[in-house]
Amino acid sequence: MDLTNHIILLGGLILLVSVLANVITARVGAPLLLVFLIIGMLLGEEGLGGIDFDNVQIAHLFASLALAIILFDGGMRTPVKNFRVGLKPALVLATVGVVITSAITGAFVAWWLQLGILEGLLLGAIVGSTDAAAVFSLLHSRGLELKQRVGATLEIESGSNDPMAIFLTILLIELLLSGAEHMGLMVLWQFVQQMGLGALLGIAGGFALLWLINRLELSAGLYPLLALAGALSIFGLVSVVNGSGFLAIYLVGLILGNRPLQFSHHISRFHDGIANLSQIGMFLMLGLLVTPSALLPVALDALLIGLVLILLARPLAVWLCLLPFHFPWREQVFIGWVGLRGAVPIILALFPLLAGLDVAASFFNIVFFVVLLSLLIQGWTVSLSARLLKLEVPPTSKEVQRVALDIPGQQELVLVGYRLTENTPVVRKKWSNFTLPKTVRVVAHLRDKRLLDTLDFFDLRPNDYLYLMAVPQDFAVLDSLFTQSLAPKRLSEQRFFGEFALNGKATLGELSLVYGLNMPPEQADQTLNEVIHAHLQTQPVVGDRLQIGGVELVVREMEGDQVTRVGLKLIRDDA
Amino acid sequence: MNIADLLTPERVRCIPEVSSKKRAIELLSDMLSADLPLLAEGEIFDALIARERLGSTGLGHGVAIPHGRLAGINEACAALLKLDQGVDYDAPDREPVDILFALIVPAQSTDEHLRILATLARMFSETDALAQLRSTTGTSALLKLFQGWEIAHD
Repeated sequence: MDLTNHIILLGGLILLVSVLANVITARVGAPLLLVFLIIGMLLGEEGLGGIDFDNVQIAHLFASLALAIILFDGGMRTPVKNFRVGLKPALVLATVGVVITSAITGAFVAWWLQLGILEGLLLGAIVGSTDAAAVFSLLHSRGLELKQRVGATLEIESGSNDPMAIFLTILLIELLLSGAEHMGLMVLWQFVQQMGLGALLGIAGGFALLWLINRLELSAGLYPLLALAGALSIFGLVSVVNGSGFLAIYLVGLILGNRPLQFSHHISRFHDGIANLSQIGMFLMLGLLVTPSALLPVALDALLIGLVLILLARPLAVWLCLLPFHFPWREQVFIGWVGLRGAVPIILALFPLLAGLDVAASFFNIVFFVVLLSLLIQGWTVSLSARLLKLEVPPTSKEVQRVALDIPGQQELVLVGYRLTENTPVVRKKWSNFTLPKTVRVVAHLRDKRLLDTLDFFDLRPNDYLYLMAVPQDFAVLDSLFTQSLAPKRLSEQRFFGEFALNGKATLGELSLVYGLNMPPEQADQTLNEVIHAHLQTQPVVGDRLQIGGVELVVREMEGDQVTRVGLKLIRDDA
Repeated sequence: MNIADLLTPERVRCIPEVSSKKRAIELLSDMLSADLPLLAEGEIFDALIARERLGSTGLGHGVAIPHGRLAGINEACAALLKLDQGVDYDAPDREPVDILFALIVPAQSTDEHLRILATLARMFSETDALAQLRSTTGTSALLKLFQGWEIAHD
């Protein structure tokens, strides 16, 4: 009895500390995952907690479970519209990229540690996959956003490269255990089987689960559980038949997150929490599992391997993989640099331990060290490098209160709440006749906790609460009216997009009439949209720039593949 | 050189309101063409409207700088229209516009054109300068205010 209560108390406290750590890390800019790892190490056998945990089997079980849940959540959060610019490059990075990264790192490991090439490659494969969650949580916590091409590529890559790294790791372990005679066709067949089954069953299972959720009538609280149970069942089933369960569950998440879904709001809230819990739990556990003093003997080896990975293998792999896609060099450098390693390598390092390989123990410590290094060096420099490489765009998503109304057979209606402050644009400027989009209705206006009887829209004051009914397309306009921008000055709209906004359909000739641009006469009839497409040789995204004469054109809004609004920036000496 | 040099007392007006964006541009065109008798009627208005078709010249924060290049003039000139009640100007931030500063420049002077525009855009985005401008009334006081706005040089 007593022991039970003590364990609950301890567990509760650890969780509490971990959640509170969130507040601090957001300020300091340290990667959250690093903090959890360190808390775990502090609690461990050589730290304050003195908890002696070295059950690899249990660690593997929980870590796989947590990873599956995180991937599921990641899939739900990946908007399919990001596929427009990110899917193809991300898929190349997630497959070919992982192989190149693993091969270069592996070759170095084999040479430096004087191991067999297969063993070297095994270590390379273990550290082969990236984790973008850390990147995005860091940027979002500071109100920053990346250019879509970079953001989407990193996001999709990190969601889809884990299955590849897992596959390579398992394959290499099998080869090591059975001798190297089954190379070649066997490997290819394994790949096809793992990925094919994962993709096929993931997609089929995803749609089946979607159908089930939309069909069943349950109490609201059960839908998130239904989604989770269904996803984990698909994960388990696919893994049992030798497919990639991780790929499958990511796809299930992708389908549920991007299709009309009953109670989607409940489901995504719940999974946000459960994915956070999984992250915290997994990193704490992995921190517990490692013996910090065992890291020291491998420190030099791990440092070198980490540096080769960060400075050579990843950038080279990224450069090769992105060659066909004409990414601007700044974006390639950033993607190459932000190859953050997260939990997956540590989990994969458990595989050789379970398989009983000789090198397993030292591999685990090396991998742990490499992940720490990556979180420290790359994690801490994410926002800085995004700024230096000019890849930030003014943020569009803001922290506001939104409640989707689930009205069957109805387009999505959302109740949006704003708390006005002195710096809210409408309040600060005392606007009297601004216009709301036609589809928006004012629902309530509260002052001093009381609902105002009349909706006096022209007397908005600080600390008022305003509730509006809107469709998602209106969010951008509403946010610009009722929330203040948290972005730093260099990302203010005028600084970033320039002084004026032009239509994408305006022609270069018309523009030249006003500004006297130097341009080849054959370009006069081209619209700005066409000029930008021709200049970039790749899909434009918001924030892409092109200099003509004394002005700069900046992509400001996109609709599908078309540039609809272009910022005109006058180039100034003091800029 | 400063921005006040582009204006004359006749080309500064403060009025309560206008009915539309088009009407505001008409007023500005009339103020400008009074001093440029050589131009054909409506030429300034057409140039300014042609620029608005490419996208609103609203800067945000209630300011707009309608502008254009014209073949028949020798030097840059400007007109200021200040409204008590803002007019819907299709500005990027959807804020109604109550300060309109129209600028026309000769066809051959693109560099100067861009420099003046850049100066205007910078000054009009400074909160203090804007507040001062909004609280100032009377033609001579407004002109005096613009004397402090130096045009940046290379």
